[in-house]
Amino acid sequence: MALIDLRDVTKSYRRDQIEIPVLDGVTITVDGGDFLGLMGPSGSGKSTLLNLLAGIDRPTRGSIRIGEVEISRLSERALAGWRARHIGFIFQLYNLIPVLTAFENVELPLLLTSLSKKQRRDHVMTALGIVGLGDREKHYPRQLSGGQEQRVAIARAIVTDPTLLLADEPTGDLDAKSAGEVLTLLQRLNQEFKKTIVMVTHDPHAAERAARLLHLEKGTLVEQVKVGA
Amino acid sequence: MKFIGLILKSARRSKRRTLLTVISVAIAVFLFAALRAVLDGFNAGAEGSSSTRIVTQRSTSLIFSMPTSHAEQIRNTPGVQDLTWASWFGGIYKDPRNFFAQFAIEPESYLRIYPEILLTPDERKAFLDDRTGCIVGDGLAKVYGFKIGDKITLKVGIPTYGRQDFDFNVRGIYRSGGGSVDNQSMWFHWKYADERSVVKGQAGWYVMQIANPDHAAQVSAAIDQKFANSPYETKTETERAFQSSFVSMFGNLNLLLGSIGIAVVITTLFVAGNTMAMSVRERTTEIAVMRTLGFPSSTIFLLIAGEGLMMAILGGVVGAGLARAIVNPEFLNAGTFIPAVGVNGANMITGLGLSVLIGLLAGLIPATMASRLKIVDALRRAA
Repeated sequence: MALIDLRDVTKSYRRDQIEIPVLDGVTITVDGGDFLGLMGPSGSGKSTLLNLLAGIDRPTRGSIRIGEVEISRLSERALAGWRARHIGFIFQLYNLIPVLTAFENVELPLLLTSLSKKQRRDHVMTALGIVGLGDREKHYPRQLSGGQEQRVAIARAIVTDPTLLLADEPTGDLDAKSAGEVLTLLQRLNQEFKKTIVMVTHDPHAAERAARLLHLEKGTLVEQVKVGA
Repeated sequence: MKFIGLILKSARRSKRRTLLTVISVAIAVFLFAALRAVLDGFNAGAEGSSSTRIVTQRSTSLIFSMPTSHAEQIRNTPGVQDLTWASWFGGIYKDPRNFFAQFAIEPESYLRIYPEILLTPDERKAFLDDRTGCIVGDGLAKVYGFKIGDKITLKVGIPTYGRQDFDFNVRGIYRSGGGSVDNQSMWFHWKYADERSVVKGQAGWYVMQIANPDHAAQVSAAIDQKFANSPYETKTETERAFQSSFVSMFGNLNLLLGSIGIAVVITTLFVAGNTMAMSVRERTTEIAVMRTLGFPSSTIFLLIAGEGLMMAILGGVVGAGLARAIVNPEFLNAGTFIPAVGVNGANMITGLGLSVLIGLLAGLIPATMASRLKIVDALRRAA
């Protein structure tokens, strides 16, 4: 059974009485352990699709089932709890909390769990170890490079061992070297730790790292490419 | 508990802004507690007054005196057990800023009717035996360093007492045994003042001990009836009413000081509320990120409201602590004018309660704003 099952998802926004369609009847299935790249020009609906998968936005029509849960029917509170357990989100601009250290940033999602302080510490250090920043736990975001910040953000995304990792242009703000490191890390999380990843990107080099690519244009799916096929 | 660290870190984001907010709340609580203490001080006399004492003054105003010849007529009124009289002196000790109350009293009867003026037998005898003797409250003595045996010279403040300075011998340091007697006053022989008065035989007010408090109204009416349609019409009332009218000479203090206190608190509420709202606006993206991570809106609400509450309580503790340390007769050297009882525990608790209220109200709107934030819109603004 597919981990992600989007059926005929439509999303439109209303701006000053005008209905702006963003997604139009998108149907996608993603198996567990897949690494899916979403490409398309600006305004094609990639990020909106990612937001719908993350449960931070709701479809106008259609169904979004992730695992056994039809998330479009969950209440706000239930959706927040579901996100905490099942979603790891990686932002383009890292979005670390500047007043928290790397350790505290990664610990943030764990504050919503019932883990003890020691258990939280173990989880955080494991996550920081995976992204190669175990020695930077006390550093604040301003003391880290862009690539390091993004790796801390990835550690924050994986620390709860979520079902699904969603990355919105994770290399969009990085130089080529840092971008390569981040992509290698994502690939490792997919191949070694069997994480299901959906990544939105403009960058063809980044897209090459995905196992499967989808192209969106004007809110509709125009092409499905099997990378390496 | 695990969110406390997060709240503290957030509050330290802009240290200057947090500090200024804490200071503004501290000032509000300080002023509130101090003003409450001043009001309490003014009201203390009325609160602690005796139900078996009634006071007669001129019907026109307390500032006009009456002949001491009234004493016998009042004493003969049914229900009156004992009588004494006193006058406001209004002298100046070295400098007009050194204000404290001085009363010329008929000493023997006054000490009899006011057993709350606590003196040792030796002090009492020394005072009664010395026509130029005086007794001072232990609070007053502490402020000016008065000791038994000291000489105090008062310049005349009210022309009716002539022009020559008055010299007094401190014969006793009294303690207050009740709320109607403060420990910030000076009492001396009425005769000494009367000798130098331009108009002899005048009393400011009479104090009567009555047998039955339930008959206070009838006895008062009977006294006033005796002087009706005379040049010295009187107004007799209970000691509590007299104390209250004495305070009301300063105007409607409750309204005045209460209004100042409320204005300060409301202003602080807006300042703190605006600061919190600014802080939330600056953190829109962070809040959206936390919501994305799974923080429910209720937790976001509590984090923001908790931050406001924490700052307000901190300000409250500082303000109440400062008020306690500063607003007391010893520190201010001015409790002599205001019969201040100082900032007591109740004033501090009320002040702290007020800071909690400021914190809750100031954080309410920003916390609601933060908890209702649309994640996607906030993230889009940041991108």
